[in-house]
Amino acid sequence: MADTDEELSLLETLDHLLDRGVVIAGEAVISIGDVDLLYLGLNIVLANVDAIVRTANKR
Amino acid sequence: MRAVVIGAHRRREDIGDDASAISVSDLFLSGVELAPDQPASDRELLLRVARIRAALLARATFVAIRYGFVISNESDAAAKCAPHVERWRRLLDAHGDDVEMTLKIAAAAPQPRPRREEHASGAEYLRALHRATQAASIDDEFRNAVEASLVPLARAHRWQHRDNASLELALLVARDRVDAINTAGAALKSFDVPFLLSGPWPLEVFAQEEQP
Repeated sequence: MADTDEELSLLETLDHLLDRGVVIAGEAVISIGDVDLLYLGLNIVLANVDAIVRTANKR
Repeated sequence: MRAVVIGAHRRREDIGDDASAISVSDLFLSGVELAPDQPASDRELLLRVARIRAALLARATFVAIRYGFVISNESDAAAKCAPHVERWRRLLDAHGDDVEMTLKIAAAAPQPRPRREEHASGAEYLRALHRATQAASIDDEFRNAVEASLVPLARAHRWQHRDNASLELALLVARDRVDAINTAGAALKSFDVPFLLSGPWPLEVFAQEEQP
């Protein structure tokens, strides 16, 4: 579960970095598919992981 | 000097030693300098910027600038940022002690993602993507619970359609309310609804004009 939380934390952090905030001029095309897991201490994440897993199993 | 910009700050000391400070009018941009041949899409740079962004937010709230904005010197920064400075100053003065929190909620019935090959033109495909995004909705009971528990803790909130499978609530909250938001968010786990509550974040959604 801890790995899942850290993975979600990283993905959410990168999502905010790449897809939020004021757009002035973008010149970077980013591929994040192979980004290693990284622990970012500040950005707490609360996920309803149990529900995520249950939903995934239903599909 | 080439630097990828992270955010706009009210005071130089809000940047400290975490990044380079680039003066723009009476504000300061935080930037991470690039090597002459280093592309902004460098993977290690991206991760480094993510870490610095978090450290900067720990110091003080700032206006987030979407990744990819690169400046070559102070006059370049001043020219590109001139249309934004007044709004940024106003935001930082009004919300210097606030942060954003984000609640991403899985749609009750995700819309199928349109397939490019089923549309005759790119424009038609983009319209189909937009329709699928706008049609995503969440469980009414869960939404009511969010409106009753999280929204009253925030200074402002915005519901946003971002994709075909989820809906997102952006909350602008005082820093001393972050723990209360997390506590209220934890109570939502009693619902069988997948969600992700994250933050604190700098001024991202609320740094932009509200879309009609």
